[in-house]
Amino acid sequence: MQYNGGSIVAMVGKNCVAIASDLRLGNQALTIATDFEKVFPITDRIYLGMAGLATDVLTLRERFRFRVNMYSIKEEREIEPKTLAQLVSSTLYERRFGPYFIEPIIAGLTDSSKGSQPFIASADLIGCLNFAKDFVVVGTAEDKLLGVAEGLWEPDLEPEDLFETISQTLLNAVDRDAFSGWGAVVHVITPDKVITRTLKGRMD
Amino acid sequence: MSHYTRTQSQQHPTQRQFNPYTENGGTILAIAGADFSVIAGDTRQSEGYSIQTRYAPKVFKLTDKAVLAVNGFAADGNMFVKKVKQRLEWYRHAHSKDMPLRSIARLIQTMLYAQRFFPYYVYNILGGIEEDGTGAVYSFDPVGSYEREACRAAGSAQSLVQPFLDNQIYFKNQTPVLGTSHPTHLPLRHVVQLVIDSFTSATERHIEVGDGVELYIILARGRGTQGLDSFKDVQELTPHAEGERLFVLRRELKKD
Repeated sequence: MQYNGGSIVAMVGKNCVAIASDLRLGNQALTIATDFEKVFPITDRIYLGMAGLATDVLTLRERFRFRVNMYSIKEEREIEPKTLAQLVSSTLYERRFGPYFIEPIIAGLTDSSKGSQPFIASADLIGCLNFAKDFVVVGTAEDKLLGVAEGLWEPDLEPEDLFETISQTLLNAVDRDAFSGWGAVVHVITPDKVITRTLKGRMD
Repeated sequence: MSHYTRTQSQQHPTQRQFNPYTENGGTILAIAGADFSVIAGDTRQSEGYSIQTRYAPKVFKLTDKAVLAVNGFAADGNMFVKKVKQRLEWYRHAHSKDMPLRSIARLIQTMLYAQRFFPYYVYNILGGIEEDGTGAVYSFDPVGSYEREACRAAGSAQSLVQPFLDNQIYFKNQTPVLGTSHPTHLPLRHVVQLVIDSFTSATERHIEVGDGVELYIILARGRGTQGLDSFKDVQELTPHAEGERLFVLRRELKKD
């Protein structure tokens, strides 16, 4: 888990969710790239983040793209966040005794025709799901993220306030982690648009 | 060929080892203000997944203007505090005054380094008032490296608390409104609230932190109690209002 480094956090707001990651890719302590995104759009309103072994991040991104496409074709509708969470979980548990070394985070809004509820979830590397109501964190800075998020987060944040909260949480956590950092990407998902911003942090 | 048979233990060489150290969990924290200093620690003492006691103080009054927080191996910590107090008493007898804070800091360094090859397994944070009347925090590693800082967290929840403090005390990753600047020192009421919040957060997410928190507040000579009045059950430990004043504030934390 510390081979490539990287951290992700997702938070629930009022009718919105946010997901953010750092941009570092390392080989142990040596930084290889500073533009390595770990969060990917699955549908217009669901994002999936993966922290851990970079090669598995890329493999699973394609694998999930394939399985979500197959789902959309068979069901003739977009996948729901909780369904994606189960799909991620079963994909990881398939490799129970030789796992992919990634920990995923799912952040999204449920179908707007059913009220568009915010949804976040995380899992461990063999797919044990954690449906949190407030925030979820994974990656090499997870203990730091947990501490800062517990101090900064509050319920029912509006999109702009949620953006500030998740950005400050991520930036201050990765600044105390040698394996994460070098800037960040933040996605705030609201019912009518997704706001994506790239942040510069401490570049050292 | 020998006439006697070997016992089981003689047939296979066995290794035995005594481990002189234990990690007893918990977290300590100190923040320096312009004319005050706040030093705090939780009161849970644990060994592995077992709680040994819900009230084992980690923060100790050394003098009217110096407080020491000790975290790590509790047995070493208690013995270390005992020896520091003893050295401070000898100093009082020799010089008829309390040792200045920066001298206590240097004393702690030499005492820790004296055990360089069998260290006290403890992280120390010393808080108090400097001779010039400013609030100060000194943090140490187990073998005596030390530094004066404005704020420091140590112990099992250091990784949870320190980045939060970077953000809220040093205003890291925050840009001030154009034409203004961040304050270098925060008011006492604000600092006490941040310390309590830090421990509440750490308790929520770390199993070794909880039960209760003890905050020691040291006010510089001549400073009023403004900022402390909004907290109830603040107990004064100094007998008179001249000189530095020392207060203790206790709060319950979750016990699960």
